[in-house]
Amino acid sequence: MSPTALTISGVDKFYGPIDRGVHAVKNLTMEIGKGEIVALLGSSGCGKTSTLRMVAGFEEVSRGAIAVAGRQVHTLPPVRRNVAMAFEGYSLYPPLTVRENMAFALKAARLPRSEVDARVASIAKLLEIEDILERYPSSISGGQQQRASLGRALIREADLHLLDEPMGQLEPQLRAVLRGRIKHFIKERGLTAILVTHDQTEANALADRIAVMEGGVLQQFDTPDRIKERPANLFTGTFVGEPPMNVFEAFVGTAHDRINLRLPDGLSLDYDRNAFSGPVRDQLLSRERVVIGIRPYAVRRSKDGVPATVLANQWLGDQTHIAADFAGGSLVLVEHDRTRLDLGAPIKVSIDPKNLHVFDQASGKAISHGMELA
Amino acid sequence: MASLELKNVVKRYKSQTVLDNLSLTVADGETLVLFGPSGAGKTVLLRLVAGVIDPDEGRIFIGGEDMTDVDAEFRGVGMAFQNFALFPHMSAFDNIATPLEAKRSSPSAIKAGVESVAKLLKIAHVLSHKPRALSNGQKQRTALARALVGSPPLLLLDDPLRNVDAKLRFEMRLELPRLLADRGATVVYVTQDYKEAMALGDRIAVMSQGVIRQLGTPEQIYREPASIEIARLFGDPTINLLDVKPARDARGVYVGLSNVQVHLDEAPETAIGRDCVIGLRPEALHFAEDNEPGAIPVTVEAETPLNEKIVTLVRTVRGREILVSRPAGAPGRSEGKAHIAVDGKSALLFDQASGERIGAKNVVKLRNGEAA
Amino acid sequence: MEHTSLLERILRGVALTLVVIFFMFPILWIFMMSFQTNETILRIPPQLIFEPTLANYTALITGKLMTAAGTLDIAFMRNLWNSVFLSVTSVAVSLLLGVPAAYAFARHKFRGSEDIAFTLLSFKFAPALLVLLPLTLYFQKLGLANTYFGLIWVYQLICLPLILWIVRGYFEDIPADIEYAYRIGGHSWFATFRKIALPLAGPGIAAAGLLAFIFAWNNFVFALVLASADKQPVTVGALAFITSSGIQYGQISAAIVLSITPTLALALYAQRYLVEGLSLGAVKG
Repeated sequence: MSPTALTISGVDKFYGPIDRGVHAVKNLTMEIGKGEIVALLGSSGCGKTSTLRMVAGFEEVSRGAIAVAGRQVHTLPPVRRNVAMAFEGYSLYPPLTVRENMAFALKAARLPRSEVDARVASIAKLLEIEDILERYPSSISGGQQQRASLGRALIREADLHLLDEPMGQLEPQLRAVLRGRIKHFIKERGLTAILVTHDQTEANALADRIAVMEGGVLQQFDTPDRIKERPANLFTGTFVGEPPMNVFEAFVGTAHDRINLRLPDGLSLDYDRNAFSGPVRDQLLSRERVVIGIRPYAVRRSKDGVPATVLANQWLGDQTHIAADFAGGSLVLVEHDRTRLDLGAPIKVSIDPKNLHVFDQASGKAISHGMELA
Repeated sequence: MASLELKNVVKRYKSQTVLDNLSLTVADGETLVLFGPSGAGKTVLLRLVAGVIDPDEGRIFIGGEDMTDVDAEFRGVGMAFQNFALFPHMSAFDNIATPLEAKRSSPSAIKAGVESVAKLLKIAHVLSHKPRALSNGQKQRTALARALVGSPPLLLLDDPLRNVDAKLRFEMRLELPRLLADRGATVVYVTQDYKEAMALGDRIAVMSQGVIRQLGTPEQIYREPASIEIARLFGDPTINLLDVKPARDARGVYVGLSNVQVHLDEAPETAIGRDCVIGLRPEALHFAEDNEPGAIPVTVEAETPLNEKIVTLVRTVRGREILVSRPAGAPGRSEGKAHIAVDGKSALLFDQASGERIGAKNVVKLRNGEAA
Repeated sequence: MEHTSLLERILRGVALTLVVIFFMFPILWIFMMSFQTNETILRIPPQLIFEPTLANYTALITGKLMTAAGTLDIAFMRNLWNSVFLSVTSVAVSLLLGVPAAYAFARHKFRGSEDIAFTLLSFKFAPALLVLLPLTLYFQKLGLANTYFGLIWVYQLICLPLILWIVRGYFEDIPADIEYAYRIGGHSWFATFRKIALPLAGPGIAAAGLLAFIFAWNNFVFALVLASADKQPVTVGALAFITSSGIQYGQISAAIVLSITPTLALALYAQRYLVEGLSLGAVKG
């Protein structure tokens, strides 16, 4: 077990009076190890930014405690917490050049000039801002400002690096390579980074673990793979993953030795009873209605599947996205080859039970993932 | 019939030329995507066709008729705007009804028309709401319904999905082809998202600085881009570009990638000895066995999953960075030393000075070379 | 937003009260004076307790002013009517001319449009006294002096620039795409102006109209010089209370109360409307 870099214990955030104001973060507890990259993921207003700002010290903690590297910090001012932060609005100092912005904290720490120059040069190369180092923030593009702001945060040595929406404005052509470089940079130096983002692709690309938040509540805190394969509830399942998970309501029924999940439009997915493990079967059969989820890449076209009609067939260069009219809704399939299907063409789709996610209809909590109980 | 034709259209604002002698033909029933960075002139072009601004030079034909001097209200086109442009003081119903009112349709015909298009776009339950009470997705659907309701033969869609979130954008992208196909309309669709362009366009016109740089099917644009600039605009992750100088030996034309000679089939003769840039799409590279011929030794820097793909940033022994992408589940390495190989077919050669793609033959075939 | 202590709230209340008293006191005092006779008003020291009388209002409404020197005829009701008529008609004419002009300036940038717009505004900068003398001479020559028509014409100098500039701003704030969308839908530019631009600029037009009305109502100099007793508005009419036997404070106060009531009522009514109108659900979310 690596030493902990950040411990958040039972933290609440209220805007306004405690217990009466807006409850932005609800009883949040999480622990982040040294050297980890963690993404706080959620839509706007989910509490992720409030959490980050509480860790940085820009927002008071209404209840609970925050410790950085084993040191209680939630009553300390931001400067004494030893955290570095890149802001969503960049917050570059307008009267300073990009170089001066990046060197600011290092100069304040009285590092020798040669060392400062060397570090600025290496980060600038990493972020491809070498040619704008002498420019002022107002004269560079949004994407460049974002890179400069990232550089200013990454250049520092700190117990924690907090990155608020660090890549939203990056030029699409640079995004993939910068993601790779930044991840390599963080890992190589053993930094601990927390990034806040609403973009699940960014979280998946960079993070070792993702904390999915909604309504101020931590929904799931796990590795990207586990969140994809074992989403804790319907929210996590549909929020993470692109294209989003296909979701249908189904009635559970049995006939002979088979379990069938009846969908709208008279369609039904039939499975051998033994396709499910005993406990999963029991859980399924104890319910009348469930919500089933299937990841788009887990839907297969096959000869003996359930009928569907092609609504769209879109080739994106390296993937084909297919939408099909299915069970009163639309079912999305992803194939890695170039598929050519005409609009309106009939296809048959099959869903392997091991790719089936089942959720409770009322609570949205996961019941089972494939063969296993959630 | 509603084909669209622009002949030598010029539009200037003050001293700046935003459309430079542009000609374009869109066939009846075709969906043409105008793709390019902001400031390329896409929106201006759309507005010229709609008739809300006038060209300085050139003619515009809709359905074979010269519409250059015809006022917007008589052109019979439908348009959806990036910012929705809903009338804030009218309900969704009244918003959608405006084109039908202009045609002096009877109230019952208006009601029927609005309701059928609203049902198609799944907004029937919010027709009584004012725009401010609609969610972003509903606003966007209302705007689209307003453009579609009069069944105009020519539809102009100005980046209609830009202001909705990723999930809705994805949903709409899959829904649009059927909506458009059902109408049989000719469509001009403006976007800055290459996925939308490839997914929706029968043809794509790539624009920059008021000029169409390439016009072709999604397949042509992706596989045979006219220039480095265009190759970089399509594909996520972006295409790998490496400086090379093609040479010839007994086995044919080859390029040197990190001390490995990679032989090219059908490489254009004109490329030999020239300073070139080779373009390798990340999905055209794969992790190879160490002893595979033509395999290039690399160090894995970082692995960044992207949707159903895994993108790996690797560094060659010469320090050049390459992005490799593979479907989730395909074999790969996440750290340490590895070898990668080029899959062939999709390697592209560009002239280093001009950035233009070399060779009349569009696709350069690669043959596995041997390690030097 | 933040949790405030009791002390903070008390201090805030006291501060607010002081400010309100400072600004409201003159109005309150005038209101009280209007219910007193000259004797009680001029008493030293002034007293807050008095026996209210409606005599001032009666005098104004009946038009008979009793003074120590005898009965005096006053035309206050006539003046009030003049004020209403002049202000309403001037604003109406200004709206009729100014709103379409504002739309033209906002939407159609033509050569010199900016100059013309600025020239119109500059009428507002010129001191009234500067133009009064030549204006008086012209009007006498043209037979416009001491006519409603002439006054309304001159009042355009007050109302038109105001309306033009305020309303133009509101038109410019309407995204052009909204109007384009309506036109592409098959409607003429005039229909677009009527059905889209006018309703959306409605709050702005109301605000401009209201402001113009108040300026017109409060105007003094033009009416003083260009109108005789039977065409005079209340602002000039109030001079009549400065009589040979002294200043009739009670009647002046009552006259002021009566004359500010319409503008005050209008402002209160329109305020609600303005706030509501200004938060129209904009174009994008």
